[in-house]
Amino acid sequence: MSRMLNFLRRHSSILIISGIGLVAGALVWGLHGPVAFIGALGVAFDVFLMVLPAMLAGLLLAGSLKQLIPAGALAKWMGEESGWRGLMVASLCGMVMPGGPMAAFPLVLVLAQAGADRGALIAFVVAWALNGFQRVLVWEVPLLGADFALLRFLCGLPMPFIAGALARRVPIRWAPPGATLPAEGATSPHAAASRPRAGL
Amino acid sequence: MTPGQFLLIAAALIAFGLALRRGVPTAQRALRETGQTITRVLPLLLVALPMAAFLAELIPPDVAAGWLGPESGLPGIAIASLAGGFIPGGPFVSFPLVLTFIKAGAGGPQMVALITGWAILGFHRVIAWEWPVLGPRFIAIRLIASFALPVLAGLLAGLLLPFFPHALVRP
Repeated sequence: MSRMLNFLRRHSSILIISGIGLVAGALVWGLHGPVAFIGALGVAFDVFLMVLPAMLAGLLLAGSLKQLIPAGALAKWMGEESGWRGLMVASLCGMVMPGGPMAAFPLVLVLAQAGADRGALIAFVVAWALNGFQRVLVWEVPLLGADFALLRFLCGLPMPFIAGALARRVPIRWAPPGATLPAEGATSPHAAASRPRAGL
Repeated sequence: MTPGQFLLIAAALIAFGLALRRGVPTAQRALRETGQTITRVLPLLLVALPMAAFLAELIPPDVAAGWLGPESGLPGIAIASLAGGFIPGGPFVSFPLVLTFIKAGAGGPQMVALITGWAILGFHRVIAWEWPVLGPRFIAIRLIASFALPVLAGLLAGLLLPFFPHALVRP
């Protein structure tokens, strides 16, 4: 049962998209006829050819950066920081964080257990979701053009700071899952590695 | 090839070169990582691009030009912010949709609000990924702290748009 739920979650994107695509395709065929249906497929194929080179380059960039920047380094920089500097470091980390939600949210958990505060974590999530370099370079610039992408990027730049600063004032208690143990019972290697440094 | 694509390819080759300098195993890991991402992303793309094209075919052009047009102002920005939250899937869905909206006459600030709403609110991603990993309390804090930001980004885009005359080129 839980394995099936896991399967559905892992593939939720493709299942949901396929479902919507099938319904929308059937509607196009029914309402606008087969010519419009084939026309739409042609548009999709043109976009595919346009995006492909940039996407392959972006994935190679992300794959290489992941080897060059160890995850422990990110935790160290964001670890015990607070104030605007912490939010800035977290935002920068979010922007350079490559990969989809399957990579980013588990990393948030690791950072949380290493002692990053909720403001930094939320700045990280918002910066990753909104201004992640990988997404901007792979999707936004090729599809929407450099000018629009730059405008959009500039408008998104202050958002992680605002979200992080506001999050510190939201009166909801939160502890990272699995981090309710006392400090000695460090649950992850990153948490254990960052503790001695925090005491300096 | 656009300047953006050229820059990206150059950056990728430089990063891969740096990985290669660390040694062949590092470069191999980078390539394996890249291959794994491609096999994950490519099927999504092949399903999502036709979906976006079908949706664009179904959405009447006057929605983009009217509700989300340059004249729609703050209400248009608010509608776009919320609508963005309901776009399912990743960038492979949202950006092709925005492209068709722009071609159909949507306004710049409204499109910035739509993308920001999709990125920050993205209810599908919240339910599928954020909830299971970080839990409902974290989501509550994050959404309280950020639900107004897409509108703010749209207003900001309205101020900056005069400096970006080529932002909404419609071929």
